[in-house]
Amino acid sequence: MEQEKTMSGEEGLRLIERMIFVAKQEQRVDGVGWIWWGWALFAASIFTLVNLRFNWVSTYFFWNALGVVALVYFVARYLQYFFFGAGKTVRTYTCELIRKLNLGFFISLFFIMIAMNGILSPMAGFPILVNLYAFWILIYGTSMNFRPFIAGAFVAWGLGIAGLFAKTFEGVMLTHAIAVLCGYIIPGYMANTAFKKLNREVAAYSV
Amino acid sequence: MFKDLDPILHSQLRLAVVSLLVSVKEAEFTYLKEKTNSTAGNLSVQINKLKEAGYIDVAKRFKDNYPQTTCRITPAGIRAFEQYVKDLHSYLNIDGRANGNGKK
Repeated sequence: MEQEKTMSGEEGLRLIERMIFVAKQEQRVDGVGWIWWGWALFAASIFTLVNLRFNWVSTYFFWNALGVVALVYFVARYLQYFFFGAGKTVRTYTCELIRKLNLGFFISLFFIMIAMNGILSPMAGFPILVNLYAFWILIYGTSMNFRPFIAGAFVAWGLGIAGLFAKTFEGVMLTHAIAVLCGYIIPGYMANTAFKKLNREVAAYSV
Repeated sequence: MFKDLDPILHSQLRLAVVSLLVSVKEAEFTYLKEKTNSTAGNLSVQINKLKEAGYIDVAKRFKDNYPQTTCRITPAGIRAFEQYVKDLHSYLNIDGRANGNGKK
């Protein structure tokens, strides 16, 4: 871009449009985190469901294992953030909101998990977790203006309510697995596809 | 022709910088350089002009022994950008009418 290059009015408007389009990319997510987190929860639900039939290990073994792995991962991520920073060269208001939302979500998640190891029955605890997932997905989807997450949130809420009325723990695990599939995994893959498409468009839009 | 357009914003690189900053909370110099495809020297000069006009705030600090320059748009910058877009639209409408393509 040359110094003090003159522009026509149309060129000015096109430049503004292009730069706003480029900046918009920063407010998109690649969905990879959702996919990994979704598959981890889905696997824990399904392995627990199968384990209830075959009694390989204790009932909550897979959930406890996931809880430990998740706790170590998130502590490591926050330590990395505090000591080395986010490593991003641009900050948006949406990304700031999402970061705080994620922090609130994981604190609430561990709060419920602690309650489930004490006073809260897992029969009620897992539908409450699904309710928390739905809330998280709804805010996330709204802030990103990504409808599959918003739709996934309402489906997850429906499954969370169904889980509350399930007669067996197998039923709770099944509704949990389907909620994760509809709320995290499918919208995650759709977000990933949309992100890749946007990247291609931005590349084609280069100054 | 564009005598009433804000001369600070009516420059390709400065307009690109302000258009980027209006969409984000803050951006580092390296981000602006990459997205505007400009040279460090030219970008630095244009950022100083925007800063002198009060359109952006520039914060300089050190991170891991490297200088880090962060820019963010000011309320005056947002107002100037909005006015610039409005003026640009009105000019284009006048041009359009002259060509017989304007909206009535």
